[in-house]
Amino acid sequence: MTTTEPASPSLRPGGPPGAPAARTATVRPPLPVKMVIAGGFGVGKTTTVGSISEIEPLTTEAAITEVAAGVDDLTHTPRKTTTTVAMDFGCITIDPTLKLYLFGTPGQERFGFMWDDIVEGAVGGLVIVDTRRLDDCYAAVDYFEHRAIPFAVAVNAFDGKVEHTLEEVRWALDVTDGVPVVVFDARERGSVRDALLVVLELALARVAPR
Amino acid sequence: MADGIPPPDPDGPDPDGPDPDGPEPDGPAPVGPAPAVRPFLVTAGRVAVDADGRSMPVETQVVATTEGLDALDRLAFEQHDIVAVCRLPQSIAEIAARLRLHLNVVRVLAEDLRAAGQLTVHVPDSGVVHDASVLRRVIDGLRAIPDSRGVTP
Repeated sequence: MTTTEPASPSLRPGGPPGAPAARTATVRPPLPVKMVIAGGFGVGKTTTVGSISEIEPLTTEAAITEVAAGVDDLTHTPRKTTTTVAMDFGCITIDPTLKLYLFGTPGQERFGFMWDDIVEGAVGGLVIVDTRRLDDCYAAVDYFEHRAIPFAVAVNAFDGKVEHTLEEVRWALDVTDGVPVVVFDARERGSVRDALLVVLELALARVAPR
Repeated sequence: MADGIPPPDPDGPDPDGPDPDGPEPDGPAPVGPAPAVRPFLVTAGRVAVDADGRSMPVETQVVATTEGLDALDRLAFEQHDIVAVCRLPQSIAEIAARLRLHLNVVRVLAEDLRAAGQLTVHVPDSGVVHDASVLRRVIDGLRAIPDSRGVTP
């Protein structure tokens, strides 16, 4: 198949205006839809991606900008350093024209990271929580809240056990009622699927209220 | 902002390493991890940010053109590998992972290859996030995925 058309109305050929026209693509690419899997270190992000991805999770180096969190910074000018971190991701082909990408955001166990490079354009986020280490996910929750990105909190039931009730988790994270809090098992495909569906339904409800 | 390309070592070149400005040392080519300056060499010092300070999203789709595939024999190194792997559509992130390249190197080289007519680069429109029909299709597609016991919701 050859075409010079974009793959869909939502894909535009890249490059600045006035650049040479794109040549003939050999294949029509799918429309990519991106979701972000966030949470602290070792909380099960890669396991989550791997449970549902059609490929073994791939790892690439992503650049993140670290803004030094300093209350003693009187200039209020964030000191930025760029760090390269490993980012795991996977994908699910919905059909030949539509592909869902799942990106695990790195480094959010520490405060002050900017993941805009990864999160920009995402339909939503899933913040994975280990109830034994709730602190690790605050940065991720803050991040999504401040950018008004639809997200849900998913408590990973390690060994089938959750040490706190969902209400306790909701209280501890101080998320609004509009943020779903669910329990899931990162190792179980159906459980991961259902957690992703919670986020997607939330994203849909925002653009097409029932 | 350098957007992720590690800056050159502020302390100068590794005293034990070869002088980057000097003649090639005799003997076999050095092996081992690529030095931090390598991404700059591959992209001729360019970084992957456009005039607005934005970079190509990681899910941007890249496909080889027939011209690119025809030119494969004339392409070398990273350029060759990128065009070859894009026989099937790939995201920027997949190319970087499969070829073990820095994400920003792929961004720069993909743009070069696009300008040369050897790839098409399809930057996703951010409006997809607000497109209910797209979201419904993703939801329906996900629902069709069986769990580990083969049960769909």
